[in-house]
Amino acid sequence: MGSFPSRRRSRRLLGAACAAAAIAITAAACGSSGTSGTSGTSGSSGAAAPTGGTRVVGGTATYALPPSTTPNYIFPFDSSTYFSVVNAEDFQYLLYRPLYWFGNGASPTLNTSLSLAGKPVYSDNGRNVTITMKDWKWSNGTPVTAQNVVFWIHMMQAVASTDWGAYVPGGFPTNVSDVKATSPTTLTMTMNKAYNQTWFTSNELSQITPMPEAWDRTASGASHCTTTVSDCAAVYSYLDSQSKSLSSWAGSPIWGIVDGPWRLSSFNADGNSTFVPNKAYSGPVKATLAQFQEVPFTTESAEYNVLQAGSAGGNQIDVGYLPTTDAPPTKSANAIGTNPLNSSYYLSPLYAWSINYFPLNYQSTTGNGPVIKQLYFRQALQYLMNQAAVISGPLKGYGVPTVGPVGSVPATNYLSSTGKSGDPWPYNPGKAKSLLTSHGWNVVANGTTSCTHPGTATTDCGAGIKQGQQLSFTLPYATGTEWIAQEMTQLQSNASQVGIKLSLDPRPFDQVTAIAAGNCVVAHISCNWDMGNWGGGWTFVPDYYPTGETLFLSGSGANSGGYTNSQNDSLINDTLTSNSVNSLYTWQNYLAQQLPVIWQPNGVYQLSEIVNNLRGVIPQSTTLGINPENWYFVKS
Amino acid sequence: MIGFLIRRILQAAVTVLIVTVIVFFLLRAIPGNVAVAILGPAAYRNPATLAQFNAEYGFDKPWYSQYLLWLGHLLQGNLGFSWTLDQSVASLLGQRLPKTIILVGISTILALIIAVPIGLWQAVRRNKPVDYTFTALSFLFYAAPTFFVGTVLILVFSVKLGWFGPEAPQGGIVSDLTDWRDLVLPVVTLALVTIALFSRYMRSSVLDNISEDYVRTARAKGASRRRVLWRHVMRNSLIPIATLLGLSIPGIFAGALITESVFNYPGMGYLFYQSAQKQDYPVLLGFIIVVAIATVVGSLLADIAYAVLDPRVRYA
Repeated sequence: MGSFPSRRRSRRLLGAACAAAAIAITAAACGSSGTSGTSGTSGSSGAAAPTGGTRVVGGTATYALPPSTTPNYIFPFDSSTYFSVVNAEDFQYLLYRPLYWFGNGASPTLNTSLSLAGKPVYSDNGRNVTITMKDWKWSNGTPVTAQNVVFWIHMMQAVASTDWGAYVPGGFPTNVSDVKATSPTTLTMTMNKAYNQTWFTSNELSQITPMPEAWDRTASGASHCTTTVSDCAAVYSYLDSQSKSLSSWAGSPIWGIVDGPWRLSSFNADGNSTFVPNKAYSGPVKATLAQFQEVPFTTESAEYNVLQAGSAGGNQIDVGYLPTTDAPPTKSANAIGTNPLNSSYYLSPLYAWSINYFPLNYQSTTGNGPVIKQLYFRQALQYLMNQAAVISGPLKGYGVPTVGPVGSVPATNYLSSTGKSGDPWPYNPGKAKSLLTSHGWNVVANGTTSCTHPGTATTDCGAGIKQGQQLSFTLPYATGTEWIAQEMTQLQSNASQVGIKLSLDPRPFDQVTAIAAGNCVVAHISCNWDMGNWGGGWTFVPDYYPTGETLFLSGSGANSGGYTNSQNDSLINDTLTSNSVNSLYTWQNYLAQQLPVIWQPNGVYQLSEIVNNLRGVIPQSTTLGINPENWYFVKS
Repeated sequence: MIGFLIRRILQAAVTVLIVTVIVFFLLRAIPGNVAVAILGPAAYRNPATLAQFNAEYGFDKPWYSQYLLWLGHLLQGNLGFSWTLDQSVASLLGQRLPKTIILVGISTILALIIAVPIGLWQAVRRNKPVDYTFTALSFLFYAAPTFFVGTVLILVFSVKLGWFGPEAPQGGIVSDLTDWRDLVLPVVTLALVTIALFSRYMRSSVLDNISEDYVRTARAKGASRRRVLWRHVMRNSLIPIATLLGLSIPGIFAGALITESVFNYPGMGYLFYQSAQKQDYPVLLGFIIVVAIATVVGSLLADIAYAVLDPRVRYA
C-alpha cells in the first residue's frame, strides 16, 4: 500500500537556486526554432514519431537520468530513503523484474506478458489467492520459483515496518495471514479478510519482487530466510550492506544474478551506468541494443546543452528531456508545439499516473482549523483555483485538470463518467463570493473578509468561527518549479477578489514536505500551518489502483491535513473489499465534491526528447517504467 | 620560521574547531525536518520510521551532544556516512575533490599564466589602446555571471561549431585529464573570470611599483628598462597576487557550483549544494572541514610567499 508524494521532474533539479533558474532562462533564450508537430496524449503521447527504417542490431542507447538524481541502491527492497523512481523504475526493474508488471503501453494496468506469474486466481470470495509462476529463469540458470516469492514476503514480514518504503501499518504483509509455496511454481496466500481482487493485485502483489535463492545468505554463508522468517533480518542486513557498496555493484556475484532483460556491466558513483543484455533473459522481448547507458545530470539546463550539441560533443543523448521553461506552447494536452530540437529529436510528453493537489490542514493550530473544516469555504477556494488558466499559461498547455482523487490521464476505466466530464470546479469568483456571503461573511474585495454571523445555522460562518475572524492564511509552497510559483501568485490574486488573504511563503521542496506532507497529529510534528503546496501531488506507483486509504482515510499518516469524514471512510473501505469498480466511482464522485484538498493541475511529468532514429520508446509508461529491451536503432 | 609555522598550525587547529562548532549549530538551526528530508515524505505513511531515524542518528538529543558524538568520530578519522548518497563521506570527498582540484586548479594556473603578463603589459602601456581594450574585457568578464559565460561558450563552441564538448569529462580522474576537449570550456569559463581579477590587481600593483624610488634608482644606475621591469618591478608586484592565490586555495577545494552545474561536472561545489538541499549533515560537515583547512593553509602559504618574494619580510 502507499504510493508516494511526487516531486515533479523540474523540481528535482537545483530548484531553489537562482543560479540554476538563470541558467534555464538563458538556455531558453538561446533555443533554436523548428517546425511543429502533433501528438496525442493519453498519458504518454504518441507524438508524430518517425517510423520506418531498417532495424539495426546492436548500438548503444543513452538515457538521461532526471537532474540531480542518481541510482544509489541496487537491492530491490527499498526503504524510505531509497524509495524513488530513479532507484526502482529506472534501475532495479531493468535487472530484477517485479512479480507483476504494471504498465500496458500508456495504461497503468497489469501487463501479463511482462509479469513473472500468471494472473492471480482468487478464491473464497477473495480471501485466498493462488499465484502460478511462469517459466522464467535467473541468469544463473535456476528457475524463478514460488519460493523466490516467499523469500521476499518473509523478508517483508521480518523488516517491512522499518525497512520497506511502501509499508503502511495494517497493510501488506500484515494483512496476509498465511503464505506457502505448494510447489516450485505455485504459491498460495491467505488474507485476513476478503479484499477487492483488483486492489489486492494492483496495490499489494504489485510490490513483490522475487529474489533468487543465492541471495538467501549472510556474510558467513547460506541462510534460510526462504523458510524461516526469523533468519530474514540478518539476510536483509547483509544485502543492505552489499547494496551500499556502490563501487562493487557491477562485479558483484550477488547483484549479477538477474531475471530482467539487462545486467549491469559498469557503474560509477557519479551515477553513470552501463547495461548489457542478459543473454539468459526468458521474457518475451530480448534486447536488440548492445548496450544501454544511463547518464546523470546536475541540472535540466546541463542536459539540454548536451541535447542541443547532439553528436558534436561526442556524448549524444538518445532519450532525454526538454526543460519545462523551454517547452513549446501548445493549445491542448493532446498536441505539442514547435520542438526546438526537431532536426534531431522528436518530442513526446509523458504524463505520470497521478493526481495533483495541495492539502489544507484541518488540525491547524493557527486558529484557521474551524474555517478549513467548512465545506463552503473549501468550495469557494476551489472556485478560485483557475486550473484552465494555469494549464494554458504557466504550463504552456502541458497539463490536465485534476478532477478528484482519481487521475484523469491516462484514460482508464478507474475514472468515473462524472470525472471524465472535466473540472467540476471551473474558475468562478462570483460563486466563491456568493458562498461566503451566504454563510455570514462580509466580503471585502482586495481587503480581508471577516465573519459577521458566527454560529452554526446554515447561514452562519460555522462551528468554532468567531465574530470578526478573518480569512487570512499562510501558504508555503515549494520553489524550483516556475509554473507552481506562477499558479500560487495567480491563486493569491484570485483569492484577494473575495477578500481571502493568502500569505505565500516560498521554500525549498524538502521544507514544504516536512511541514505539509504528513498528518501532523499522527506524525507528532507541528500543526502550526494552514495550507502547503509541494507541487507534485501524488503518483500511483507502486499502488496502481487509485483507492484513497493512504491519502484520505481518517488517521492515515499520509492524510496530510488530517481530513476526517466517516462517510468517506466507509466508501474507501468499500473500495478495498468490493470487486465492483462502481465502489471506486461512488467514492471518487463523493470525495471530488467534498474537497478534502484543493485540486490543482496535473502538469506534464517529462517532455521527452527522443532521437529520430531510435524506435520502440513510445508509448512511454505512465507508471514511469522504462523498457529499453524494446528499443532499437534504424538506418534509412 | 619554524616557530612561526608551529604557532600558525596550532592557531589553525583552533580555528577549524571553532568553525565546526559554529557550522554544526547553524546546520541544526535550518528549518525543516531532517528525517523527512532524508527518508522522503513517503515516510509519513509509517511514522515509526521517522522515530527510528531520529533515535539512530541522535536527533532526539540536544545539539551539543550530537556535536560531541560527531567530534569523537572525527578524531577517530571517521567523517561519517552520507544519508542521501549512500557512501562514506571520506569516499565522496575522495571522488569529488580530485575532480574539483583538476577543474579549478587548472583554471587558476591558466589564469595566472595569462593574467600576470597582461597586467604587466597594461601597466607599461597605461592609457594606451591596449590598456583600454584589456580593461574593457576585464570588466566584461568580471561582471558577467559565470553561468552566462559558460552557456554562451557552449552555444558557440559546442552547439554551433562543435569544437568542444558541451559537458565536462564524465569518466574518472584519468578521463578528466585525457578528455581535454571536454575540459576546455569549463576551464576557460572559470579562467576568464579569474584572469579579469588577477590582471586588474597586477596592473594596479605594477603601476604602484613603477613609480617607486628603487625603480628610479635602478634606472639611474644604468639598468635597462626590461631588466628593471622583470627583475625588480615584477617581483614586488607579485605580492598582492600571492595574497589572491592564497585566498584562492579554499576555492580550489570548495569547487565552483555554477560552473560544475552548467557543465554537468559533479565536483565539490555541487556536492555541497546537493547535501545542503537534502540536509545531509555528515557531508556538509566533511566539506566544511576540508574548506576550513584549505583556508588556513592557503593563508599560511600566502604568508610564506611574502617572505620569498620580499626579503624584508622575516617571520620570527
